[in-house]
Amino acid sequence: MTDDVVIRAESLGKRYRLGAQGKRHNSLRDALASAVSGVTLRAQKPKGEFWALRNASFEIKRGENVGIIGLNGAGKSTLLKTLSRIVTPTEGEATIKGRLGALLEVGTGFHRELTGRENIFLYGSILGMERGEVAAKFERIAEFSEIEKFLDTPVKHYSSGMYVRLAFAVAAHLDPDILLLDEVLAVGDFLFQKKCLDFARSLEQRGSTILFVSHNMFSIKTMCPRVIYLRKGEVVFDGPTDEGLGLYERDSKLSTLRWFQPTEMSTAEITNVELFSEDGRPKTVFDFGERLRIRISYRAPKAVAAPNFLCTIRRLDDVFCCNFSSAADGALIESIEGEGSVEILTQGLRLVSDQYRVEIVIRQQGFESIVAAQTGPSFHVRHELFNAEVFGVFHERAQWSHGGPPPDPRADPEKRKVPGTV
Amino acid sequence: MTTTFRPQTAAASPRRTSERVTHIRPSRGWFDLQLDEAWRYRGLLATLVQRDIQVLYKQAFLGAAWAIIQPVLAVIIFTVVFGVLMKVPTPGSIPYPIFAFAAVLPWDYFAEGLRRGANGLVNEGDIVRKVFFPRMLIPLSGAIAPLLDFAIGLGVLLILMLAYGLAPSWHIVAVIPLALVAGLLALAVSLWLGPINVRYRDVKHTVPFIIQIWMYASPVVYPLEIVPEQWRWLYALNPMVGVIEGFRWAVTGQGVPDLTAMGVGLVLIVVLLLGGLVFFRKNEHSFADLI
Repeated sequence: MTDDVVIRAESLGKRYRLGAQGKRHNSLRDALASAVSGVTLRAQKPKGEFWALRNASFEIKRGENVGIIGLNGAGKSTLLKTLSRIVTPTEGEATIKGRLGALLEVGTGFHRELTGRENIFLYGSILGMERGEVAAKFERIAEFSEIEKFLDTPVKHYSSGMYVRLAFAVAAHLDPDILLLDEVLAVGDFLFQKKCLDFARSLEQRGSTILFVSHNMFSIKTMCPRVIYLRKGEVVFDGPTDEGLGLYERDSKLSTLRWFQPTEMSTAEITNVELFSEDGRPKTVFDFGERLRIRISYRAPKAVAAPNFLCTIRRLDDVFCCNFSSAADGALIESIEGEGSVEILTQGLRLVSDQYRVEIVIRQQGFESIVAAQTGPSFHVRHELFNAEVFGVFHERAQWSHGGPPPDPRADPEKRKVPGTV
Repeated sequence: MTTTFRPQTAAASPRRTSERVTHIRPSRGWFDLQLDEAWRYRGLLATLVQRDIQVLYKQAFLGAAWAIIQPVLAVIIFTVVFGVLMKVPTPGSIPYPIFAFAAVLPWDYFAEGLRRGANGLVNEGDIVRKVFFPRMLIPLSGAIAPLLDFAIGLGVLLILMLAYGLAPSWHIVAVIPLALVAGLLALAVSLWLGPINVRYRDVKHTVPFIIQIWMYASPVVYPLEIVPEQWRWLYALNPMVGVIEGFRWAVTGQGVPDLTAMGVGLVLIVVLLLGGLVFFRKNEHSFADLI
């Protein structure tokens, strides 16, 4: 292994037996029953198996930040668990140089009955710190957590936010050579998240290597110049983040939204989402300020009364840009049944030059239960000047003027009166 | 693809002290026990033991007093039922409460170690699924943590003896190796039951019965002499027989320890322990997947 490679994976694979995972014998009775049927009937069902991870090979150099992306069940967590030695690979091998810290879940190992102070020591130890090390870093950990006042209270009385703060504060001081992060930054309020991201950056500056699993493409984009994209357990892409995110985007098109769990209430189905220019030509690249025509085709085997169509526009890095709602716009759709389509014509879009994705949600009766939720196509907005790095989410013209010094507040009160007020 | 996306910052990391290289590969070999790794994690073992002790009597009104109340209550019950009502004979002139206490002490320690060891992997499922450490630490801490209760109980026993006008002899130092033997036995059995419990939760329900039956198969409430001579050899296969008899001898200084029984017990423990280590290691890789 060359000097600057700190992780090398060679054809790593992890196989799960469906028999062992899905219908495992959790009681001896089941095991006996199947053993008996195996002996008497001699017809044991062939056990299914699947590879949660297959043939994963890559090298990661010292100081690199690499994002691991992929749809649910693509093997991201299995990869991190394998590298952190929680699970043993079925085949292949990996070599890791240096101290590895894995944060797969914030606060695992906390004990509810113990105080914050006691838990700092416990959790630090569980994450792999020496006891003396925790003691030496104690003050900094307590300060980082921002809950110094409650350190002598049992953590069972903590709010979930406090719990996470304390846990992350400990984890952040692990100071590993290699850090594996699984979706853990997606907790806490915004300010704390920012603090966490800043901390990850400071680790980066100190030369730590970070492997980062997230569904938040914005964090991936800000933290990792390189991504490894997993699909069904296999590495299908390893390279620059923009390219990888594009691939990920293509795969996640027209799939059910990640947070959405279909129930028996989810009766309708979105069969297609298409984008057109104002005059009805199919289009995927729009100019800044252009109007967008979105056509949503649906199939509703059972009638849905007064549905509310919601159309979300999300930047590719997951920034939530805006939402169009038929109910909010006062467009009453009486009911949908069978096949049909709904069309939206937006105002001139003020979104800056970047890539975006459309997401469609149909809710029943105004804002009640969700009947369908689907990701739609993505599109580009073009403008040579207005981009996300410099101009944020949207660009709107403002009126500017240049005068002398600002008006003196002590000047004649009459002159400061806003016109129209008495 | 091996493109470098970032200038190397190796020079900016002088703090790197450990350049330990870890190899991750499918488990192989029967005797790859990795005891060295368990040793490297001894700090975590100490923390787990400390946690178990800290947690034990939290939010209990009587707190640590339970460490005294539990064995005392057991001894009172045994004294009433077996000493007073059934008039179980005790060897020499030992009062029944002392006779029973000297057995309840190592027995309770063993039983608690076994209970924690067998259930530990499942009870600690959260950290087993999300954090790496040698899983052996869990049954180990299970066997170590109850030592505190044991020590407190020993103090109570000594006070009780003084109250009866009995002074402990120099034999008392033998309680240390005897407790070690009881702890090793609890660990050895846990190394077998723990992994089985991960796969078949039936173990959790079985453990209380195992402990109860085992207690009656050990001379806790009755003396060894009550067992018919022709069955003694079978009886001696229970390593707790040697431990309890030895304990009575160590505390009261009466009688002679049965070295044969103790030797047989020790050999059995070593066999169970080595087999248990191999069995545990063999199954360890699947714990995170099954819990």
